Amino acid sequence: MNVKTVKREDLDKYSNTEDKRLVNIALKSMLFIGMVAISMFFAGLTSAYIVRKAEGNWMEFILPDWFLVSTMVIVLSSFLLFFVKSRLKNNNSVFGLVCSVLILGLIFSFFQFKGWEQLISEGVFLTGEGSNVAGSFLYVLTLAHLAHLFGGVIALIFATVNAKLRRYTIDSYLSLKLISMYWHFLTILWVLLFLFLKFL
Amino acid sequence: MSDHHHKETFITKYIFCTDHKMIAKQFLITGMFMAIVGMLMSAIFRVQLANPGEASVLYNLLPGGWLNEAGGLNPDKYLALVTMHGTILVFWVLTAGLSGTFANFLIPLQIGARDMASGFINMLSYWFFFIATVVLLSSLFVESGPASGGWTIYPPLSALPQAIPGSGTGMTLWLLSITLFVVGSLLGGLNYIVTILNLRTKGMSMQRLPLTVWALLITAILGVLSFPVLLSCGLLLLFDRSFGTSFYLSDIIINGEALHHAGGSPILFEHLFWFLGHPEVYIILLPALGIVSEVIAVNSRKPIFGYKAMVGALLLIAFLSFIVWGHHMFMTGMNPFLGSVFTFTTLLIAIPSAVKVFNYLATLWRANIRFTPAMLFAIGTVSAFITGGLTGLILGDSALDINVHDTYFVVGHFHIVMGLSAIYGMFAGVYHWFPKMYGKMMNKNLGYLHFWGTFICAYGVFFPMHFLGLAGLPRRYYTNSNFPMFDGLSDINEIITFFALAGAIFQAVFIFNFVYSIFKGTKASKNPWKSNTLEWTTPIERIHGNWPGDLPVVKRWAYDYSKPGMEDDFVPQDVPLFEGEKEH
Amino acid sequence: MTNILIALVVILTIAALVQLVRVNELLSEITNKDTNAVTDDDNKKNGILFLLTIPLFMGFVVWQMVTWDHLLLPPASSVHGAEIDSLMKVSMTLILVVFFILTPMLFFFAYKYRGKKGNTAYFFSHNNKLEVIWTVVPTIILTVLIVYGLKTWDRAMNTNVSDATVIEIYSKQFDWTARYSGLDKVLGKSNYRLVKGKNVLGVDMLDKNASDDMVVKEVHLPVNKPVLLMFRSRDVIHSAFLPHFRVQMNCVPGLSTQFAFTPTKTTAQMKESEGDDFEYVLLCNKICGSAHFNMQMKFIIESEEDYNKWISSQKTLQNTLTLK
Repeated sequence: MNVKTVKREDLDKYSNTEDKRLVNIALKSMLFIGMVAISMFFAGLTSAYIVRKAEGNWMEFILPDWFLVSTMVIVLSSFLLFFVKSRLKNNNSVFGLVCSVLILGLIFSFFQFKGWEQLISEGVFLTGEGSNVAGSFLYVLTLAHLAHLFGGVIALIFATVNAKLRRYTIDSYLSLKLISMYWHFLTILWVLLFLFLKFL
Repeated sequence: MSDHHHKETFITKYIFCTDHKMIAKQFLITGMFMAIVGMLMSAIFRVQLANPGEASVLYNLLPGGWLNEAGGLNPDKYLALVTMHGTILVFWVLTAGLSGTFANFLIPLQIGARDMASGFINMLSYWFFFIATVVLLSSLFVESGPASGGWTIYPPLSALPQAIPGSGTGMTLWLLSITLFVVGSLLGGLNYIVTILNLRTKGMSMQRLPLTVWALLITAILGVLSFPVLLSCGLLLLFDRSFGTSFYLSDIIINGEALHHAGGSPILFEHLFWFLGHPEVYIILLPALGIVSEVIAVNSRKPIFGYKAMVGALLLIAFLSFIVWGHHMFMTGMNPFLGSVFTFTTLLIAIPSAVKVFNYLATLWRANIRFTPAMLFAIGTVSAFITGGLTGLILGDSALDINVHDTYFVVGHFHIVMGLSAIYGMFAGVYHWFPKMYGKMMNKNLGYLHFWGTFICAYGVFFPMHFLGLAGLPRRYYTNSNFPMFDGLSDINEIITFFALAGAIFQAVFIFNFVYSIFKGTKASKNPWKSNTLEWTTPIERIHGNWPGDLPVVKRWAYDYSKPGMEDDFVPQDVPLFEGEKEH
Repeated sequence: MTNILIALVVILTIAALVQLVRVNELLSEITNKDTNAVTDDDNKKNGILFLLTIPLFMGFVVWQMVTWDHLLLPPASSVHGAEIDSLMKVSMTLILVVFFILTPMLFFFAYKYRGKKGNTAYFFSHNNKLEVIWTVVPTIILTVLIVYGLKTWDRAMNTNVSDATVIEIYSKQFDWTARYSGLDKVLGKSNYRLVKGKNVLGVDMLDKNASDDMVVKEVHLPVNKPVLLMFRSRDVIHSAFLPHFRVQMNCVPGLSTQFAFTPTKTTAQMKESEGDDFEYVLLCNKICGSAHFNMQMKFIIESEEDYNKWISSQKTLQNTLTLK
């Protein structure tokens, strides 16, 4: 996060708010803080999980294999985003890259649904007859992540269109940077959730 | 150079505006409207408490189904009023109305920026708030009534419509409304933090920031870290209510029917709720204290005493506010050791609070005080903070809480710290920055009348409540007349209601003054209070981009009032150091 | 009709106020004074009002303390309650002393340093020594208070009391029921799914400990003997509040909470000092629905003799719930 704490001797180098660069930094910082807020939301849910689990009457579940696959898919999608900068530097289109990330995102979502299907077939339910709060937490946590991913998917659709229209250049691709930041956040969040659910 | 040549229509100027000054006013007007609604609700239930079960002309304001045949208020609708009053005042007025207004208005102006980092997101934050308001108010007209489980909405009461009618549609609307509200608050908070950290003008280092900005920054950070947990809390409640999960519910028979829920714990809700709930009261208080620091300094013609200590105190209060939430839960049967920990942290938070009070007193010492209405309210804030803060020491002590928890002692305490201290801070802010917001002056004598009337009536309402609490009277009671042990308390209840109604009338003076002055007030000068901060260097007729030419460059801190060797008793922040002058 | 009249009065009052303010402003335009500038006179008036606030506000507080002292709860009728009362006295004295020093100081400063043309404020921006003093002194005082408080809390929360009479307090919308554990001193197990007909508390009659349990609607206790209250709720969160004993504990559905105390004054003794219509009472202290304000159960503290007489006349669940 770009925090500017100005030293007295640097005051002259400090430019005013007309500087577009500063506004760019500001938008990135805002997204970062937004991600902190979303993390606190998940911190609330995972804390509730930990506290409730410690009280007993907790059904032990096994994470569906589909979640392992979806983890690999989303990590791959994030990995792809790292090539955006070099492609733009060489004046190439990033349409292929961004479109791939979008498709991987959709595949991830599909695998999450398959994972839930598998859970139901194994008797782990969100609610109703035979359900246990452990299962409820599992569904709520993964559903909450998917809901936030949905926002990322919408953003990626816009990015894909922009990429097709060659709107991104090495000097001007702030919105793609922001979308990438958010997408990496979603990946990290999922990996942490996955590890949390698997080992805690 | 600002190049805002786009054509302005009524819609872009007043409705979908991205200018932070207009958005601030939108928050202010909406906050004031909701304050009137919330205050009318309290007038109504205070009348019930003074004359239990009887009819009253005030009840004409209520929807039809809220009264019984005798024309008296229905007990469950009494609880609905209490719930909505709390919700509206805590969130709509003291959070959005206070932070939303002053963070939006002051931050770019006081740090020397053209506008917030993103005017668009700022505009969105208001519109989320507006829609949240519409949703909340619509719940008043639902047949089963609005949410009625207290503003703290503990399940199972808030989860089961069978437990109280308001927990049906009304509660669903409450949850929807709060979600929109929190999203709006967070969008605002993002802007405030990033703008303060990244868009300060040349020379505005963090150490030269006015205390108001520090307070607003720390408040925004508190909000980002705590509001989302309310959403997770609410999400689990939503699932329990609508999808039959058992996060909070277990072993329940209601209306003769045994429910299927098993394994849930309402205490889990309380932990999640109060994790926001406690920082929330500091989200309310800190902006008020920030405003008061500014108003006191300007009107004392002296620097705020102990600037660094004041910032440190704000930071310490903010940090500690995250580890005291259990003091709302001493009586839940928690492990006594845990209770001890929370007593310890809660009493610790008294220390930076005390430091702030002493610093305010030291600022007034040997000052040359100018009693603008804003200054009167600032002094009122300090008085209420002393009074309310001290009773907090009783409540924070777990052993003492055993007998005062959920009694009127608590009601007295939190009203004095929030309903007096924070609201006075808000009034001080409005009176002080009105000339900058509207280019006109508010009427001074009406301001004096408003202050003294409010000050007397407010203490008249809330001080006696401590005695009701020490007499054992619980809060959220429709009437005290069902227990012989409380018969002697009716007189006190009548006195409280009298002051409450009188106090409400004094607020009409303020509303009148506010509206009248916008249209017919005398034109303000650029810097009527002779203040140092940057907002007073902007032209009276507010423009987009705030300054017509270059942005001001800051050369000194905000508190050079009555500095020895200076010609005037104030030196604005953009005035360069004179020859031989050392910066403070 | 009344509504129209009220609206009319409001509108006319506003119109009158508008004219008043307008006249005031026109007058100032004529005399060329700025009505909204704060003058030395304004400072003097408000300064004096603040000075007056001191005796009036402090007097109001003292008046309340004196006039309403008799309405406050009488001294605690339990062992731990007496300790809480002592802690309360100390804490209240502390905060009242601080209140009666700081509040007059605030208003006195407002009066003494009221602004006058020609005065200059004293540019005094900070003093580290003072900051240290007024940080360290409250810290020390609060530490003492905390330690004292925690000791009291520990003793109040102690439920490890041997030989206590065990009683379950069952809360529901909108009344209380008590269940004594009987001679075996163990409460029979319960399950909410067993609530049916006369078995209002859902007691598991197959549990052998349940047969000697007694369900009552009025609690009798022997004086000076410890009692352990176990709390349950049928529907929503209630809170068992026994203000005279300084006892309070939430009753949470799905959980079981408890509080132990020893009553020290009989109801008869209290009737002597507080009046003949005195009763110990249990009230609900957590918002629980429409009749939250009317959940009450009587507690009667009596001599051991009287208590034994009473309890021997109570029917056990063996007799009331099972078929003979």
